[in-house]
Amino acid sequence: MVKLSPNRKRLFAFILLGWVLLLISDRVGELRQYQGSFVAMYALAIASIILLTGYSGQLSLGHSALMAVGAYAGALSINNLKLHPAIALVVAALIAGVFGLFLGFVVARLSGPYLAGTTLALAVSLPTIANQFPILGGEQGIVFDIGTPPQRFGEEFSQYKWFFWISSLAALISIWMLSNLLASRYGRVFRALRDNSVAAQLSGINVGRLKAVAFAISSGIAGLAGGLLVMLISGVSPSAFPLSLSFALLTGAVVTGVYNLKGVMLGGLVLVAIPEIAESVVSRIGGSEGFTTTLPGFMVSALLILAVLFTPNGPGQLLHHHKKKH
Amino acid sequence: MIRNTRMKRLSIVSAVATVGALVFSTLPAQAATPGVSAKEIKLGYSGPLTGSAGLVYGKLPGAMKAYFDHINANGGVYGRKIKLVSRDDKYLPTLAATQTTNLILNDKVFALVGALGTATHSKAYVAAQLAKNNVPDLFVNTGFSGFANKAKYPTTFTILPSYAMEAKIMAKFIKDTPTLAPQASFLIAQDDEFGVDGVNGFALAGHKFSAAPTLYPQGALTPALAEGALTRLSAVPGKPVLVLFGTTDSTATILKAAEKLSLTNKFTWIAGSVGGDANTLLALGVKPATINGALAASFFPDAKDATDPYVSEFMKINTKYNKGVSFDNVVLQGMNSAMLTVQALRAAGKNLTRAGLISAIESKGANFASAGLVPLNYSATSRVGYNGYWFGQLNEKGELKPFGGKLSIYTTDSTSNSAPTASSYERKPVPKNGVPTNS
Repeated sequence: MVKLSPNRKRLFAFILLGWVLLLISDRVGELRQYQGSFVAMYALAIASIILLTGYSGQLSLGHSALMAVGAYAGALSINNLKLHPAIALVVAALIAGVFGLFLGFVVARLSGPYLAGTTLALAVSLPTIANQFPILGGEQGIVFDIGTPPQRFGEEFSQYKWFFWISSLAALISIWMLSNLLASRYGRVFRALRDNSVAAQLSGINVGRLKAVAFAISSGIAGLAGGLLVMLISGVSPSAFPLSLSFALLTGAVVTGVYNLKGVMLGGLVLVAIPEIAESVVSRIGGSEGFTTTLPGFMVSALLILAVLFTPNGPGQLLHHHKKKH
Repeated sequence: MIRNTRMKRLSIVSAVATVGALVFSTLPAQAATPGVSAKEIKLGYSGPLTGSAGLVYGKLPGAMKAYFDHINANGGVYGRKIKLVSRDDKYLPTLAATQTTNLILNDKVFALVGALGTATHSKAYVAAQLAKNNVPDLFVNTGFSGFANKAKYPTTFTILPSYAMEAKIMAKFIKDTPTLAPQASFLIAQDDEFGVDGVNGFALAGHKFSAAPTLYPQGALTPALAEGALTRLSAVPGKPVLVLFGTTDSTATILKAAEKLSLTNKFTWIAGSVGGDANTLLALGVKPATINGALAASFFPDAKDATDPYVSEFMKINTKYNKGVSFDNVVLQGMNSAMLTVQALRAAGKNLTRAGLISAIESKGANFASAGLVPLNYSATSRVGYNGYWFGQLNEKGELKPFGGKLSIYTTDSTSNSAPTASSYERKPVPKNGVPTNS
């Protein structure tokens, strides 16, 4: 029997997952394809939070602003530089990463509530900043159009399937690269920063620099997720990145298990499925319009409390303990 | 080794969970005309039901539904009952895109009606592929002139006059009013498509403000900013004209700042139709004395005017089918859009198709009965609804009375520099019992 290295196994797992997703895209309707695209995008954004918070111990309450940086960079690349949409998504990740690196160095000395406050301020000020530069299109924003699917896929190949393919591929490649990174020396260093930064410094780790690196990688992934988000809604504007998006991503990360990258899809699925489930519940048991609109928030809150109480490290960790008992 | 096996298994578990959720429901084959059966026509609405925008506009779908219930109780449209499916987008583009897509793919509505907001609906339109599926996008509640672009939005019909039209008519009103024309004039506007459309309209009309417009991002006008702007303008001699081109909450912030600085009588206030809703201003804490005498543009009758036949009819329907909801401009707007929708459905005939509905509005929409005091402008080349305004003065009760005691209606366009013209338009009488019988 051939023995595979951990990296190879991880690669095969992601290829298998990609193959499964490819099969799924042929067997579900357009709505599920569209929702699946959002699941992939949210999974990617949650992965960026998990890297930052779960692994390097930094708390960001303004990740939506970092997503917006990538989204605007991607849109401007397509509209003004006439770049191919695939390259524009790479540019989205790169520009957001550079922005995150800069921000990371600025906030390297901050931690806990001070860091959270700084990133929160960034998210709050986003509409004002966006409105200062006419090139960003003000409140109306700018178009993010990736065009129609290539004709070689045939006429039956829908725009939603195209979205699903792009989002899934971007998420799979990015999360695979991230899981490799976290399994490497850098992953251990990040965990050392999180658990005891003084001890890490005594071990010769440059805490400030490594925190900035973690912030930059997290921002880059968030930027790519931002690019995917505005691809799905065909345009970027400040209101596409409200503060509530940052909190939703944090919720997804907590439900997933903030120290655990393994269940990010679950987090994405929760964010997309909750409104659907709430609607289905209301349509079955009946209820007022107010009940319909408040139920998703209630369900997310309840899930958050249950996750903190029963699976503080995520469902993946619960499975881990369950297996240990046997 | 064990760890990696575990990781692999967990990856597969995640994949299986995703597969399960995604495969859970596959779409059945589409009917020939989605949303239309022998007994029902399904329409969709996506707009803010909750959040700050929901506080003001959340009544809209309820008002439309009340009117449709009234029609259903009177036999429906050629025997078909109308069902309205409402989804909450919280005034966020992402939710607008997903909710509108849900309306098309999941709820399988025949057409959309009354969608609200420019930044939200422009994205929803593309994301939900309304053009590709030829989904009629009826009576969109925004005055953004970009939606009139038939090449970009081939299935959209807006209902509000454009903000550029409003600005042009405001400019003419200031010029033609002897007490206003000699005074210095200033503009405080939202820095978005709404305010910018307005600024362009004033430029087209050749109106020169006494200083560059004060622009602020939507939702970002704080009391401190408003007080700063008013303090600067208070040094201007005379009784300057202050045009407020923003949403009602921004108008309220400015008027409350004026109250705090005791400057309410220093200026002549002119509020745009979007920001001049007296009921909302009073609800937001503006004193009745402050709005007394303020000028506002409108294309509707005053929602408090129970002597108006349309308002009176809609009030009856609201009392019966929308219990506990107070009648105001938003309810009037919703019921009027619903009444136009019913006429459009009737005009499209018994063999209802999406293409037929669009064609019916193009050919017959300008003649639909409507509460508006200005003409409807639908044609094969125009997708803009109302194309004019009248000016009124608010009193302490929040009633909007025609300025100078005489209703003067002006119509214009959004793009030319031609002056607005006086209109002698007389609207059609309200259909008997509020139930249209057109064909």
